[in-house]
Amino acid sequence: MEKKLSNKTLNKSFLNWFFFNGCSQQAESMLGMAFGQSMAPVIKELYEDKEDRKEALKRHITLFNTESQVGSICNGIVCALEEAKANGKCTIEVINSVKVALIGPTSAIGDSLWVATIIPILLTICLSISQSNSQMSWLGAIVYMIVYPIGTFCLSKYLFKLGYKSGLDGMQSLMANGKLDRLTQSMTILGLLVTGALTASFVSFSLPIQVVKDVFDATTNTTIPNVVLFNADNMLNNIFPKLLPLLLTLGVYYLYSKKKFSPIKLMLIIFIIAIVLTWVGYQTGVYA
Amino acid sequence: MELNLVQISLIAIFIYLGSIGSIVGNTIGWYNLGRPLVASFIVGLILGDVQSAMIVGIPLQIMYMGNVTPGGAVAWDLSYATYIGTAGALFFGQNLEPTELIGLAVVFAGIGGLVGQLMWNVSYALNLPLNRVAQKYAEDGEVDKMYIPNVVLGQIIGFTCRVVPAIVVLTSMNAASKQADFVSLIPSWITTTLGIFGGMMAALGMGIILSFLWKKQYQIVIFLFGFILITYFGLSTMATAVVGVIIAVLYFFMDSKEVK
Repeated sequence: MEKKLSNKTLNKSFLNWFFFNGCSQQAESMLGMAFGQSMAPVIKELYEDKEDRKEALKRHITLFNTESQVGSICNGIVCALEEAKANGKCTIEVINSVKVALIGPTSAIGDSLWVATIIPILLTICLSISQSNSQMSWLGAIVYMIVYPIGTFCLSKYLFKLGYKSGLDGMQSLMANGKLDRLTQSMTILGLLVTGALTASFVSFSLPIQVVKDVFDATTNTTIPNVVLFNADNMLNNIFPKLLPLLLTLGVYYLYSKKKFSPIKLMLIIFIIAIVLTWVGYQTGVYA
Repeated sequence: MELNLVQISLIAIFIYLGSIGSIVGNTIGWYNLGRPLVASFIVGLILGDVQSAMIVGIPLQIMYMGNVTPGGAVAWDLSYATYIGTAGALFFGQNLEPTELIGLAVVFAGIGGLVGQLMWNVSYALNLPLNRVAQKYAEDGEVDKMYIPNVVLGQIIGFTCRVVPAIVVLTSMNAASKQADFVSLIPSWITTTLGIFGGMMAALGMGIILSFLWKKQYQIVIFLFGFILITYFGLSTMATAVVGVIIAVLYFFMDSKEVK
């Protein structure tokens, strides 16, 4: 009789992965042990013989790595392959090479699309929710706590099932479909727009330079003390509001993405500039 | 402000849950409980001052927006950084101006981030021998025991590496705050510097996030559009997000020419 994985086993395999994928991460097998745990219920159901179980477990605790949330599609695909193998329709070599082949693309999609695009966009939206109502600034945090885990759970589960049902074809259809590209681009538009808005609202950076003098008023024959004759920041903001925060942000972008400065290095540079600006501000009397 | 043992333990446990590879999974832990927006809210709940916690939580989230973990490399332990950062600000920053409070939070976040980074490296190394345990169970074909090396042993290491140092850091902060009223001792130029630093640090997160999103040159105008909606048109950030959603939906459905 043809062997078929039960829904219960598949669920167990998925949940083992979803919750415990990073539990024993290290440099030797990366997420290998977690992958083995995810496959354990599958192996238990498919193979009765101890030797078969041993071989199967051994091949699934070896090196494996992916972006674990989107990477659940790998577990689905490997479940399908193990099922085929138990029915004599697949070989160990195929399983091993497919697993290795999946590491690259799933990590790339997961890291660039989900981790580096969707999470920041969702965070920026939640930040704007928090930002626009100072009495309920916790609202954004609550929205994120609900939307992100549930949304990602559904996506992860969907990809796992897709991987199991359609195997490698599923992976290809996901990658080749133009819809995914278009969705990414739409999300990028939203992300960029909100990033611009947050930059304008949150980044503060000003030149603390001003010229203060006592001015003699000829009409009333009095001296008005401490009149600000020139304020660098007001002047720049009259040209383009918040010009300096914009330039600072673009400068950080340039150094990070083109000159490959590390975040910690950038942080130190910013700290030094802050000290210098404080000193300048005290000299010119902007900060008293 | 003074913390009791329950509050310290709770914060320490959340630091563990929010760090990478905790028992609740990265979706609920690292990418959710570990994000500054959520973390500061939780610290606020534990310490009973959600309003002040969010004052530092929002800018911390913006600064650390670009902190993602490509290929499992932890650039900065965000969970440690923000829980310690928010706690430190609430702890020592009574009666400070919001910008100065933010600067204080950034300093404590830096301390927390360094400790977290160190402990991540320790747990990463300690996990190595677990491979031998897993291989032994595999040799015996023990399908029902694969959770032992991964979850049980892996998390004993993970839990210890996160919770213990966090309790040490928080307890010493507690002890330090009893010694003197530090905020009144800080000269005003330091708080001014911290305020300027806090405001500028937001550019770090925004700059890094820009490097993820800005792929084609012309796209910078979208960023500038969002910027001027705030500066020239005076919209709130939420209103800008709504405008963004409308444009994104239009873009998705308007030009549906098939690419051949």
